[in-house]
Amino acid sequence: MTEQRNPHTELLLEEYRQQLPMLERLEQQAYQLLAAALKKQGIELNSIEHRVKTEKSLAGKLELKGEKYHTINDITDLVGIRIITFYTDDVDKVSVIVKQLFNVDWQNSVDKRKLHQLNSFGYLSLHYICSLRTDDKEMAAVKFEIQMRTALQHVWSAIEHDIGYKGAVKLPPDLRRQFSRLAGMLELADDEFNRLRTTMSEYRRQVQALVKSGHLDEVPLSTDSFRSFLEINPFDRLNQRIASVNQAELFRTSMMLFLPILEDFGMQTLGDIQTFVEQNSEDAYQLALSQLAVTDLDIMADSVALQNLCLVHSLKQGRGIEGLTYIYNTINGRRDSNRTLAAAILKMAESLPFMQEITK
Amino acid sequence: MKTTIQENEKVMVAVLEGRLDTAAAAETGKALAPLYEANGRDIIFDCNALEYISSSGLRLFLGVLKAAKPKGSQVIISGINDELRKVFALTGFTNLFTFQ
Repeated sequence: MTEQRNPHTELLLEEYRQQLPMLERLEQQAYQLLAAALKKQGIELNSIEHRVKTEKSLAGKLELKGEKYHTINDITDLVGIRIITFYTDDVDKVSVIVKQLFNVDWQNSVDKRKLHQLNSFGYLSLHYICSLRTDDKEMAAVKFEIQMRTALQHVWSAIEHDIGYKGAVKLPPDLRRQFSRLAGMLELADDEFNRLRTTMSEYRRQVQALVKSGHLDEVPLSTDSFRSFLEINPFDRLNQRIASVNQAELFRTSMMLFLPILEDFGMQTLGDIQTFVEQNSEDAYQLALSQLAVTDLDIMADSVALQNLCLVHSLKQGRGIEGLTYIYNTINGRRDSNRTLAAAILKMAESLPFMQEITK
Repeated sequence: MKTTIQENEKVMVAVLEGRLDTAAAAETGKALAPLYEANGRDIIFDCNALEYISSSGLRLFLGVLKAAKPKGSQVIISGINDELRKVFALTGFTNLFTFQ
């Protein structure tokens, strides 16, 4: 059965059909401009969504409030882009970029974040109505909507939509209170995540400064501090020495896998790692030499120094084959062959001076 | 040295047989060229019949890994013997690949 629509709705839908190819071009151009600018500014996003309104969705909107629109260009969300950030601060950064890229219709744009009354509830986002700066007059005349919100605002919006609540519905006080508590909690969580990010950035800066100034004893060992420590290439000298055995090329790889091993050794500060390097470098070199001199291997990962330092330290602690197997299980993943590997290393190490000192 | 590539929609398998030494590396490199077009499919190096690997062989594995990872492929080394595993361990390369 054909749906009966009023003539005005049908007229607007016909205009929409004619404009659809141009709307699709507009959607792509606006999205690509925005995505490129956000990438250039290094703003990490939760997601960016873009779409042209479907005819079905438009028909539904016109059924409800079609008389509000004289022409199709009065509808400002035929093309929509939604940018979801992780942090509230980033919503403001994104809004600045949007203002730089597009013409913003301030009369129709709303910062819904500022609309709340003291006794209202909800958790809303920033909406700009924009148009493209282009010589294509037809395209420049079309307005589109950019929504900017945090991931938590997005969650609120999605749940609100699922529940079917819209602000106009009068709810009993106890339900209003439940909504308010949740909205307040999300807003608080957003603020706290933002604050946490600022605090973490400050902590990283402090750690980097301490590492650069050489005050390593003051820096507790953590994922962040170890990463900063690696930036000063603490294992480079030993790596170069080991690589020179076979004039090998060093291949860069991550050394973060070794952090749990260092923690297991009882190291608590970056100073402890520095001491560990100083105390074990010569023996680690001898161990690497005994393995590599009988091969022609001329490529190796730059974790080779740290790997040998760990093997030597474990042997010096008297952990034997179990300790070596633990190291290989940690860096290679748990598998039976790690024990075979550990046994081979142990056999090689037995002839080295540091092992003979231990067994005396 | 013999290299055979088998593939289906989800995975590409390179079956390596013999000694992958410097002399065999150039020819093996050519035979492995299709792996650079894995386009997100996982890659398996079947090493059950691989007897030896030199630095040139390691470089071939690394080259495939570098091309495959950004496209979302996992590079798996399967059936490697203890001697060859030792080569990967000595050079610190074991944590770059997945071993089966």
